[in-house]
Amino acid sequence: MWLPILGLAVGIFLGLLTDIRIPAEYADYLSIAILAALDTLFGGIRAYLQNVYDEKIFISGFFFNIALAASLAFLGVHIGVDLYLAAVFAFGVRLFQNIAVIRRILLTKWSTNREKKEKS
Amino acid sequence: MTDERQVKNLGGKRIISFTFITFLIGIMLAIQFQTVQDPVVRDTRDTWQLRADLEKGKELEAKLIREISSTEEKLSNYLNEREQSKEETLRNTLEELKEEAGLTDVTGPGVRIYIDKVNDQLVGYPFEENISPDLLSRLLNEINMYGAEHVSIGGQRVINSTVIREIAGSTKINGRTIKEWPIEILVVTKDMKTAEKLCHRLRASSIVDNFFIDNMTLTVMDAESDVTIPAYEDEIRLKNIQAAE
Repeated sequence: MWLPILGLAVGIFLGLLTDIRIPAEYADYLSIAILAALDTLFGGIRAYLQNVYDEKIFISGFFFNIALAASLAFLGVHIGVDLYLAAVFAFGVRLFQNIAVIRRILLTKWSTNREKKEKS
Repeated sequence: MTDERQVKNLGGKRIISFTFITFLIGIMLAIQFQTVQDPVVRDTRDTWQLRADLEKGKELEAKLIREISSTEEKLSNYLNEREQSKEETLRNTLEELKEEAGLTDVTGPGVRIYIDKVNDQLVGYPFEENISPDLLSRLLNEINMYGAEHVSIGGQRVINSTVIREIAGSTKINGRTIKEWPIEILVVTKDMKTAEKLCHRLRASSIVDNFFIDNMTLTVMDAESDVTIPAYEDEIRLKNIQAAE
């Protein structure tokens, strides 16, 4: 349970430590990639809680979503349409939906657990 | 119960893949954060701007080089000055020491003293043409006691290592016989006042009587403002002297 959070902390720490910076032009791509990654992560958590988790879908979805978001943004820059906004919108909506589902599932589980305890 | 099972299910491959994904997200977040905080500015200058910047840089470089060279010059000047002043100080010290040791001629306020023999006829027997070294030493002590700084006897400078002794019947100073009569003793003092004092004290001293017992007269002239004492002629040998610790 705590290992993924530890992984996140180690990742942030290493990223800050290595002092890697990318040119400001590519910051947009990275931001959308992060959004895609977060979307995949929360989608994975939701799938896991709904017992429909598939390792292959999760891992492939992570990289595929990142690549898709970045290429969409790239295409948008080249055709003069802010396509990355579409990605931001799509990922943003899905992120909220996923988090809402996760919240609902956790709440349900918590309340059923309490009821069980009260019964016993 | 279901929770526990799920926690158990999290172990193994799933949790590793989750950790891997969160780790990647962490790195991306950190990079994005740093980029937003302090983005890498791309160089978009054209040739002329680059040239102008280069020129500015060169000007700055030249200015800095000028500053460095002037500072270095100053530094070397200071070093030279210091060395020179050191040398000067050493020279001054050497001169002072030489003067103190009696290796230079000394001119200053002082007194002339003459020792002469009493007329043979007055004494009634021939005069022994030699002055007793003891008497001379006593006179020297007395002169020194009264504030003499530099003394010469019969043209021989009296220094710290000067010996007055009788060799083969003749009194010698610095190994040289005193031949010429009257014997001239030159004394240089610190100032005119001391010279006058010395003059009066010597005149009133009983040493004059001692000289007369040896059939000699001691004449102390009035203090003069310019008495020149010759330098010590030989080399000073410091055979048995060791540095004090």
